[in-house]
Amino acid sequence: MKMRSKVLAIVALVGLVAGACGASGDGVQSGEESGGLSATLDGVKDGGTLYVLTSAEGASTLDPQRVYTGAELGAWGSTFTRTLTSYKPVAGKDGTSLVADMATDLGTASDDLTTWSFTLRDGITWEDGSEVTCADVAYGVSRTFGSEVTAFDGPQYAVSYLDIPEGDYDNLTAYPGPWLATEEEQALFDDAVSCDGKTITFNLKIPVADFNFTVSLLAFAPVPEAQDTADQYGLKPFSNGPFKVETYEEGKELVLVRNENWNAESDEVRAPKVDKIVWQFGLDETVIDERMLADSGDDKNAIVYGGILPVNLQIVFGDESLKDRRTDGFDGFVIYTMLNIKTVSCLEVRQAIWLALDREALRTAAGGPFTGEFAQSFVAPLLTTDYAPAKLLDGTKGDGTPNTKAAIAKMNEAKEKCPEVYAKATEDGLRFDHPDTDTWKKYMAIWIDTLGAAGIKINDNPIEQSKYYATINGDQGDLMSAGWAADWANASTVLPELFGKGGGFNYHNNEEDPAFAEFQTKVEEAKMETDRAAQAKLWKELNQYVIDQVWSIPGSASKAQNIVGSNVRGAYQWLPFGWYNLGDLGLAG
Amino acid sequence: MSDEAGVMESTQGVSGVKVVAGLSPFQMGLARIRRNRGAIIAFWIVVFYVFVAALAPILVKVLNIDPYALDREAINDFGLPAGPMGGISWDHPFGVEPGTGRDILGRLMYGARISLLVGTIGTILTTTVGVTLGIVAGLRRGFVDSLISRLGDVTLAFPSLLLIIALANPMTQRLESWGIPAGNTARITYILTVLTFFGWVYMARLVRGQVLSLREREFVEAARSFGAGTGHLVFKQLLPNLWPQIIVFVSLSLPSYVALEATLSFLGVGLLAPAASWGIMLGDSVRYYRAAPTYLFIPGVTLMVLVLAFNLLGDGLRDAFDPRSDRQQL
Repeated sequence: MKMRSKVLAIVALVGLVAGACGASGDGVQSGEESGGLSATLDGVKDGGTLYVLTSAEGASTLDPQRVYTGAELGAWGSTFTRTLTSYKPVAGKDGTSLVADMATDLGTASDDLTTWSFTLRDGITWEDGSEVTCADVAYGVSRTFGSEVTAFDGPQYAVSYLDIPEGDYDNLTAYPGPWLATEEEQALFDDAVSCDGKTITFNLKIPVADFNFTVSLLAFAPVPEAQDTADQYGLKPFSNGPFKVETYEEGKELVLVRNENWNAESDEVRAPKVDKIVWQFGLDETVIDERMLADSGDDKNAIVYGGILPVNLQIVFGDESLKDRRTDGFDGFVIYTMLNIKTVSCLEVRQAIWLALDREALRTAAGGPFTGEFAQSFVAPLLTTDYAPAKLLDGTKGDGTPNTKAAIAKMNEAKEKCPEVYAKATEDGLRFDHPDTDTWKKYMAIWIDTLGAAGIKINDNPIEQSKYYATINGDQGDLMSAGWAADWANASTVLPELFGKGGGFNYHNNEEDPAFAEFQTKVEEAKMETDRAAQAKLWKELNQYVIDQVWSIPGSASKAQNIVGSNVRGAYQWLPFGWYNLGDLGLAG
Repeated sequence: MSDEAGVMESTQGVSGVKVVAGLSPFQMGLARIRRNRGAIIAFWIVVFYVFVAALAPILVKVLNIDPYALDREAINDFGLPAGPMGGISWDHPFGVEPGTGRDILGRLMYGARISLLVGTIGTILTTTVGVTLGIVAGLRRGFVDSLISRLGDVTLAFPSLLLIIALANPMTQRLESWGIPAGNTARITYILTVLTFFGWVYMARLVRGQVLSLREREFVEAARSFGAGTGHLVFKQLLPNLWPQIIVFVSLSLPSYVALEATLSFLGVGLLAPAASWGIMLGDSVRYYRAAPTYLFIPGVTLMVLVLAFNLLGDGLRDAFDPRSDRQQL
């Protein structure tokens, strides 16, 4: 999933198949600090109002088929949107295992993994008391196809997996979503997603071994057709969970209250405690940190969406009295720098850029070791099955400092081999696209300074933050900043998306690289591989391949820190989402 | 009041009691401002800033404070300035920038170059355009006057700050495609262009009003009856009498442009890395006010002192030169 602003640190969605491949306790969680007392349920009472403080102007959306931000997926899922399967609501690696939610079990797959079926439990109700039906689930899934409403905002796995013929609509299928479909077109979808009583069956065009993880995404959540308000649905979605939306006003607040028609007996996942959850939007980041440190009044019952400002880390982690209220851990993102292979087609120049780069200085400017560990893979360490630190380029220093001498040597090689790219890099300069923020001004100073030492010229090209990804989608610089986290615990949601043909986040223009064909062939092979261990081996090899080609330069495996009010309980970092299990939070005192 | 003083002194000269040369309004103003201590102090502060800005490249070498050099030693593992008071030390007299360890004094000096450059050139451009259009409107009257005045009204009706921010990227790219060197040259050119575009109106209105009244005065009538051409009228008759207003206006618009440069940098319509600008420093420093308060305080005070000095000087000049200023008790 896409990276938001690093300062806002709106965090990750990383699903992990715990146990599937014997996840070992391998120092991956180093530096991890749980919330101490606040992560437990000591002294928790029923009732009360929980506050969520955030500098965001609003939720990105409440529409299940459009939401794609990790923390929001977890927050809406645990409060007002139930799905067929969901993640186990516990701390630690166990929290990445799958449990049946609306479905009676984790689904049944055909032998060739192209057909998956799930059966709904009895007694699941909507907020008006009516029953959640199989047709509601099918309707919800069909909304992803309606790109004129859902605008490709959410994950597109329904489009890429479901067995619907190719076509001319924006989503490249023959089905335009429920709002525009003719009867024949609707029949195409109904063939792919069919209902038989309480059992829903998905027909896939490719074998997918972990489709039950896919359906835990809110994009596969039910929506009752009668309640669908199309593009307005994101303002007031219909609830089938323990909370419902009372009011939502962007820039002001979102109020969630208990849903009396939620049937606790049908829900083995959620354990709500508070009566009311109030999101306060548009607060100043500095003010949020001040309020959390002061911990007075209602702020004792508050949590933060967006994390601690890097500048306050020293205060929060230097004060032992805050031990029970702070958390620290990987958020699932890998921060990296994309190279435009069309314009920087010379491998030696790309290697020189890598060697000359001062990752240590960049990390210090970001706020130091708290902000992340130097990445050796585009797959985050949290994806234990697929993660293996790659062997980095010869001459790369482990402490992140640059090897300017080796970089200059590479540039001299480049001078002979590819004089055109060499001239561009040394005389015209390489254009570096990045979001225009105060922190990025410092990163650029470091890039310009350290690469300049190796004779490589960098031209600063700041782009307005909210338009950044839309801009590089149309016009790619020579270097571009980026961050990515997996959609669930499979590198299939990372490497093909970032580097493969038609990858949703591939801005490398690497298809013309002679090395691309071999990569793409292997990606197809890995996607089709049904033996998970063999697949993981292929992903590790592909990650090494990408690192060897220097299509991108990995920066750091990002970490996030947070702080909660002193009355808040149950605030553990829920690994799949990199945030708390919002619906289960309780208050003491 | 001051006009009478001038007349009196020259009358004395004519009567032969004491030979005193007739003083122009400009000379009289100068004499008066010398007696205003606040304005004189402000004047020397401004001179100091200009001096530091002009000699910044030499000064940073002498003081060994490179504004672009990263100093990892001066910041701790959190990226915050090592040591108390924002890292103030002999090596870094005003401390260092969090994150990079770049020297704040050096960056302030280089920032002063940008601020004063934008302030000065911006003022010269708006004044030139404003005075020219004002004189044309006042002298020609009729259709030309209406045209220029309506043009001014329309310009003032624009929400200027919003437009400046919104147009920044497309206009900078346009300028680059016209051959202006890409990067900071194009960005400064853009800022100056929009400053001129939105700033000329005030000057033009002021001058137009003055010209409308001056052109009916006896000395202008006299010059005209001797057959003086437009050139003579403008340069010999009108401009000398406009100087006081122009000087006052300039001294008041300079600080506002210096501050506007900082504002625009703060809002992201500023310079590219690694250039130093006061606005960028101020914008960045807000987040660090708890961890490194000096980083917010020092650039803030630096900017405040300069703008205050300009304003005091401007007030002094207005008191001295503007005949209708009733604050002057001479």
